[in-house]
Formats: sequence, C-alpha cells, structure tokens
Amino acid sequence: MAPFYKYGFFGDEMSLILAFVLGTGFGFFLERAGFGSARKLAAQFYLYDMSVFKVMFTAIVTAMLGVTYLGWLGWLDLSLVYLVPTHLVPQIVGGLVLGVGFVVGGYCPGTSVASLATGRIDGFVYAFGIGAGTLVYAEVYPWIKGFVNSNGMGQVTLPEVFDLPWGLVVFAVVLIAVAGFSAATLVERRFGDEA
Amino acid sequence: MKLPALTTNQKLATVAVVLGALALFSVPHRGPVVTLDTRELALIVDKEVDHVTPSELAAWIVQGRSDYRLIDLRAESDYAAYHIPTAENVTVAALPEFPFLRTEKIVLYSDGGIHAAQAWMLMQAQGYRAVYTVLGGLEGWKDDVLYPALPAQASGVERARFERAAALSRFFGGEPRAEGGTVAPLPMGLPKLAAPVSSGAVSPVAPRKKKKEGC
Amino acid sequence: MSSDHHPAVMRGSGRPASPYWNPYLAGIGLGLVLLAAFVLVGRGLGASGAFSSTVAWLVNLVAPAHAQSNEYLQGYLGDGTTHPLKAWLVFEVLGVMAGALFSALLAGRARIAVEKGPRVSTVLRLLCAFAGGILMAFGAHLARGCTSGQALTGGALLNVGSWAFMLMVFVGGYSVAWFMRWQWR
Repeated sequence: MAPFYKYGFFGDEMSLILAFVLGTGFGFFLERAGFGSARKLAAQFYLYDMSVFKVMFTAIVTAMLGVTYLGWLGWLDLSLVYLVPTHLVPQIVGGLVLGVGFVVGGYCPGTSVASLATGRIDGFVYAFGIGAGTLVYAEVYPWIKGFVNSNGMGQVTLPEVFDLPWGLVVFAVVLIAVAGFSAATLVERRFGDEA
Repeated sequence: MKLPALTTNQKLATVAVVLGALALFSVPHRGPVVTLDTRELALIVDKEVDHVTPSELAAWIVQGRSDYRLIDLRAESDYAAYHIPTAENVTVAALPEFPFLRTEKIVLYSDGGIHAAQAWMLMQAQGYRAVYTVLGGLEGWKDDVLYPALPAQASGVERARFERAAALSRFFGGEPRAEGGTVAPLPMGLPKLAAPVSSGAVSPVAPRKKKKEGC
Repeated sequence: MSSDHHPAVMRGSGRPASPYWNPYLAGIGLGLVLLAAFVLVGRGLGASGAFSSTVAWLVNLVAPAHAQSNEYLQGYLGDGTTHPLKAWLVFEVLGVMAGALFSALLAGRARIAVEKGPRVSTVLRLLCAFAGGILMAFGAHLARGCTSGQALTGGALLNVGSWAFMLMVFVGGYSVAWFMRWQWR
C-alpha cells in the first residue's frame, strides 16, 4: 500500500535519498523541455511558444490519471498524500504576484534552479532574488500573518467543493487539457511568425 | 516532417481522453458493507503508527497546528465539563455520519483508550486512513500533560524532561507533581475549562516540527 | 515551426545544441516523476521551501538570535535537533540541479550565459531577474507554494487552492507581459 513512506516501509534517511533521486528526474525533464531557459519560459506569455502550458498540463494530467488509477486499484491511499491547505484569497493574491514575478524575472523557483545548474547567470541572480525576497518576507511576516492565514478551507479538493464525483472532474480536466493543447498550438501558429 | 510528430501528439491525446473517460467509473460506491485489509490493519496496530502521545498532542496544540482535527468521543455533558483544548465533540454513534474529509488527519480520544480504538476501527472500515488515537485517552492526557510526575531519584535527563512537561502542564491549567507527589493522588479533578488558546508569545515549548511538505 | 526548438549554437564548441523535447513527452516524464513522489513518499515536488530552509540556515549562521526570534525562520529551523538543511526539499532541489545539468550536458546546452532578448542590456536583465525573484518569493509564500509545489503537485491532486493559484499565475503573467516585452524580443 502506497505511499510507502507514510506506511513506514522506509525511514527519513531513505526519504532524503529518494528526494534527491526524484529531484534528479524533475530537473532532467525540466531541462529537456527547455525550462532552463528564461526565453523559452517567458515565450509562454508572448504566445509564440506555449510549452509551459503544454508541459505543465501534460504533467498534471499524467500524475492525476496515475493517482486516480492507483487509488482505484487500491494501491495508493490518496488521503495520506499531503495536500496544501486552501486559503483562497491569499493564494489568489500570491498567484498574481508570482505571475508578475515570473514575467519580470523569467523563471519560477524550480526552473531557476535548473537554469543556474546549467550555467545561466540570470537564473543564478533570480535564485538570489528569491533568497532576498524570503529574507524580507520573514521580516514582514508578523504583519501579514493574519492575511496569509485567512480564508482557511482546510485540505479540500475540487470534487469535494463542487460535490462532484472524482472521476467526473478527472475526465473534465483531461478534456479541458486536450482542448487547451489544440488551442495552444493554433495560438503558436498565429503568433509564432511574428518575431 | 510535421505530420509524424502531430500523430504522436494525437495518439497521446487519445490515450489521455480514453483513460479520463474510464476514470469516470473510478470511484466505487461505498456501501455499508466493506472489505478491510486485515493484514494492513494488523501492521498498523503492530507498528503503533496509529497513536499520538498526549505530549505530542499538547505540543501540536501549543504550536497552534491546524492540520488535524481533534475529536472528543465522550458524551456531550462530559465534553462540556472538560475537554482537551481545540477538541470537537462527536459521539461514537454520530461518527459514521460525521462529514470528515478523507484527506483530513483525525485524532480521536475518549476517557480511556477503548472507545477511541473501536471508533478508530469504524473509521478504517469507512475508508478513512489518516486516523489516530490519543494514547491512553483522557487518562493519559491527565497523567502525562496535566499532572506530570517527577520520579524519585530522577536523573538529570529526567529532571530536564520534567521541567518541560511542567511548563506544558501549567500552560494547560494543570499542576506538575514533583518528588513523590505532595499533591493529591489520582484521580484528581480536571482543571476548569479555561481553555488556553495557543499564542506564540507564551508558548512554553519551541515549535518542534519543521514546516513540512509544502513547497 | 517555432524558432525555439532550434536553440543557439553552443558557444566555443561549434556543436549545435540538440532541440528541446516534444513538450508532451517532457510533460509525461515530469508527471511520472510527480506520481512516483506521491507513491513513494506521499508528497509532491517543490522548490521554494528549499530556498526558505537555506535562508533560515544562513540567517542562523550570521545572526542566530535574530533567526530564532523570527517566527517565520524559526519554522524552518525546527528545534535544533536536526540541521536546517536536512530537509526533504533541499535534497530534492540538489537533485534538480544534478538532473538539469545532466540533461543540459547531454544536449550540449550547458554554458555560462544570460538568457535575454537582443534589445536589453545584461545589467538590466539581471536587475529584472533579481526583482522577479523577490516578487516570486512573496507570491510563493503568500500562496503556500510555487509553480512546482502548488500548481503542479496540487493541480494533479485537484487541490482547490492550487487551481485558483494556477489560474491567477497566468492572469498575473499575461497582465504585465506587454510591459515587459522589451526584455525578451
């Protein structure tokens, strides 16, 4: 029965080794997709290369189908997989700020790590910026703590909130993703030659 | 040159849609009749991973952690008289209908350990996996948290541990018992219900656990 | 079709860098790694938490009293029994570095360079990168996760907050993209 760690099949040390191994896979595929390059990432927001959307949603659909089927077979206990608690308003504001930071800086935390590892100076500076931002955040945290923790909904999923069967939401996400991919390809064709 | 790449993508899309459509049937209806993986349950019981010790729970409450729900299984009147701070009252009879989320971590306690253990099994049968019981129930809470005792001829380590337990005890309105217990023996009364709300400023213990799991 | 599938020739070697993978194949690879994380350790991937651990550790080195009195950093320092850098996400991010470097070396894409458009100076680009990083840190902390920890991980688990967050990342990005276009093209 998975998740193996939570069922005590291995300990903390092993989980850290796995963290490294899983991270290696994560970094490998990020770089394969071209996400070590800020230009490739930023292109998402200028519509001539929608790889960010395509890669992200393919990964989401893959993992989502995976957990659904493993759960169906009774091999994976989804209730033991950690879910970040929902705090709607702070997360909406955070998403906006993060989106702006993405376009201004050209990376997100994970991709900046991939880019600095492959020698990109801007990725390194960006990561340094995240460090500086974290430091500032830590200092102002007492003042914004109330906001950050407001609107708590606990660990909730879309099927629970909308009272829909899990499978139906999964199917809808797959359909939206596939439709989105076709649309993204059309958009790329439209804006791709503009450069 | 474009065509074969496109076909790969179309094939992938088809596979995704088919898998997605099949997933529509993926959540089987859970009737009142259930099958339990007895070996898995036995493993959990054997490895004692279904317990939360009273001291662990106390530390969570002091830290103000909110990633779990603490459930008092006793009768309403008992709950009204005293309950562990932050606990919600759900009797065993009401448990099967109570709208827990399957992703929630649920911590159960009753007077001793028996009701909680039985309720634990009920929850398992309903497919809730992240269910825990407070070791020793409310009695354990009294012994370990509210009225911790310092053993006679305590070593330095034990003394240090007792100091921490004593701070925790006072935080929850209890009374630590040093050297053979000059205070009245158990069972003793429970403190009045002035549930201390955790606030960072007065927390007697440093947060033990690191922030975890989130990004 | 899009020119980005043919990245620049690797400087110095003359060997052309390989094209990037089909995004769907890379996405499936990424999804399987994520699934493996769910199955093996019961959690998703992340990145920003590793930055927090590192910052907490550094501050603790420089000004221990300050770090321990700071509520936020304290959360990443723990009780002092384990080293702050002995955290899951720190090891994962080290893995990301190794994996990315491995892939880039295979493809001939590893080189010291600054990613920018032709119209912007290097200094300005680096300033933007720094500013973007600061914004990112705030966004990620407000949202309890970044694109990996929230959007990717939570997206696959159908987490409500993650989907709201993901949508807003695109809204935020597209709303300022026009004003930042000089940086890229």
